[in-house]
Amino acid sequence: MPTGIAGSSALLRRRRLARFAPKRRKKEIKVLVQETTWRDWALVALPYLWMLLFFLMPFLIIFKISMSVTEIAIPPYSPIVTFKEGAMQIILHLENYTSIFTDEDGTYLKSYLKSLQVAFFSTLLCLLIGYPIAWALANCKTATRNVLFMLIIMPSWTSFVVRIYAWMTLLKRDGLINDILMVLGIIDEPLHMLQTDFAVYVGIVYCYLPYMVLPLFTALMKVDYTLIEAAYDLGCRPVRTFFSVLVPQTRSGIMAGSMLVFIPALGEYVIPELLGGKGSILIGRILWQEFFNNRDWPLASAVAIVMLTILAIPIVYFLKSQRKARERV
Amino acid sequence: MDVMPETAAAAGGVKNVRRPGELPGQKASPAGQGRNPILQIKSLTKEFGNFTAVDKVDLTVYEGEIFALLGSSGCGKSTLLRMLAGFEQPTSGSIMLDGQNINDLPPYKRTINMMFQSYALFPTMTVRQNIAFGLKQEGMPRARIEERVAKMLKLVHMEDYIDRKPFQLSGGQRQRVALARSLAKEPRLLLLDEPMGALDKKLREQMRLELVDIINSVGVTCLMVTHDQEEAMTMADRIAIMDRGEFVQIGGPREIYENPNCRFSAEFIGSVNIFDCKLVSSNATQSLIETGDFERRIELSHDLDLADGMPLSIALRPEKIYISSQIPEEQTNWCEGIVENIAYLGDISTYYVRLSRGRTVAATLPNVDRFKTGLPTWDDHVYLSWDPESCIALTI
Repeated sequence: MPTGIAGSSALLRRRRLARFAPKRRKKEIKVLVQETTWRDWALVALPYLWMLLFFLMPFLIIFKISMSVTEIAIPPYSPIVTFKEGAMQIILHLENYTSIFTDEDGTYLKSYLKSLQVAFFSTLLCLLIGYPIAWALANCKTATRNVLFMLIIMPSWTSFVVRIYAWMTLLKRDGLINDILMVLGIIDEPLHMLQTDFAVYVGIVYCYLPYMVLPLFTALMKVDYTLIEAAYDLGCRPVRTFFSVLVPQTRSGIMAGSMLVFIPALGEYVIPELLGGKGSILIGRILWQEFFNNRDWPLASAVAIVMLTILAIPIVYFLKSQRKARERV
Repeated sequence: MDVMPETAAAAGGVKNVRRPGELPGQKASPAGQGRNPILQIKSLTKEFGNFTAVDKVDLTVYEGEIFALLGSSGCGKSTLLRMLAGFEQPTSGSIMLDGQNINDLPPYKRTINMMFQSYALFPTMTVRQNIAFGLKQEGMPRARIEERVAKMLKLVHMEDYIDRKPFQLSGGQRQRVALARSLAKEPRLLLLDEPMGALDKKLREQMRLELVDIINSVGVTCLMVTHDQEEAMTMADRIAIMDRGEFVQIGGPREIYENPNCRFSAEFIGSVNIFDCKLVSSNATQSLIETGDFERRIELSHDLDLADGMPLSIALRPEKIYISSQIPEEQTNWCEGIVENIAYLGDISTYYVRLSRGRTVAATLPNVDRFKTGLPTWDDHVYLSWDPESCIALTI
């Protein structure tokens, strides 16, 4: 038999041999390991390298900055590692973190809570609005579905900021919504909508709804609808069937959609700045102020690290539930 | 709430007893006599746009029987089943369960339970939760639910798997759980949608009789849908053959096999040789029939309600044909030909014999003797003969 026609034929031959000589097996496994080329390693290494360069490194840099104190220098913070008289000193400042938690006015804690609150309710609203939309998408004809998809995705072709400005003109005192309500005689006085929390919610829900709808749609497309019939068959009413059969089945979609809304909503800066009132200070604005107005990079970095820690909790939970869902199949 | 034993005695008892002299596949007393009709369907029709899936179907199912809807895919049997379960709304006609019209009752209010072809076990729930699901909806107290779940699992021999999730079970085990779940609510009517569809052949044959035993021991009336004729014949007391949304024939397995009422039904169940014929003459004891497929006339031992010269078909089952190398003197019905092909199937061999006019006829021989010699082989000249009673005259 000519050797080296292809790796697979060589492998086949070895397998055939192994059947008659089991002792060879160990050697064969060794051969298989050796056959893993540098290309295979490169393929696996590439995504790791990407994560290392663009996620882990910046994170470590921010973490390092958060452990220093502000200085009037370039860059505007103290170095962590210094050499003095032949001794290497590593000075880790923790006062940025302590000041976040012990700030007299509680500015930071308040804005964390406020951000969490806004992100949580925005996610909930997106879920409540997005589920029926995703259901409609999953249960309509393909032609209709394509049109509906375009309607959902097309707005994101225009700039995010432009769309938020559009909402400003809609929500303002002499804006379209107030005008219509006045003309219809539903209200006598224009409603104060712009620069309220209401406007912030409108903006966030409007912007992030597609990120909720799409994973929900994917999950709903995978739902085994005979399970719903089975539930009906066993005497389960529609509302209960929704919660006891459909929700568990679309769990992964609900989780993914909620993450995709919650995480960016938590650090959202533009929407609260443009639509929100001056009173409600979210964590995004705190970050902006510390970085650019106060030039306090270390404190700003600490604020960011704390926020990341807050986010890590739901992310870990999400990954765990994903793994569980995979095990079930 | 423990009505099961009583119903089992009342209904299942009737059918469990095999009386001496009763042939398998045929009841001594015709189905329905002295029995309580549970399900009555009257001119039920379902249209999807221009397509009529079920066309003015009438059917009565009696208490305690296993009734099979048999047909090839697309014949409307599944649509009929789904209408009974309440998943499809009939276009017209009525479904009566225990004398009450249930047309407009949603599925969750019907006392009908279904075992789905895919089993449709809830993947996130354990075996226990799956079986308890229907009972919970009734608001049954927890202790009673536990009791019932245990009873159901015992019935299907799955006690050891109570805390498993469906993905940890094999196909056969899933089927048992699905059956337990659909029986847990003690339905008036149990629907089985292709009950063996998801099992491999070996398990399928084993489960058929066990499923019948379980259903009989509970005494539930059962309507099943299948495309597998063997399954229908083994499990059902009565079978309805369906074609293009209509019932072609309804009867016991034996009746349908031995006395098909039309060409479709004869060809659908088992294999059959069909000859296109013309009636020559008919009197009270004998009918003479002429066919274009071979020279001799076919003789029947009864009369036919047909005018002389009318076309008809004669159906002849392969196992009812004798093969011999000499002219069968004692038989009046015979023809000759050459063995063209032999299919050895283990238990039987099927001989394909080409008659002199070109027609091929299938005949089977059981392989009784391991070392028997002298059997006809390829290209042998053979005579095929059969009893006059074996012929089935079909006019449609």
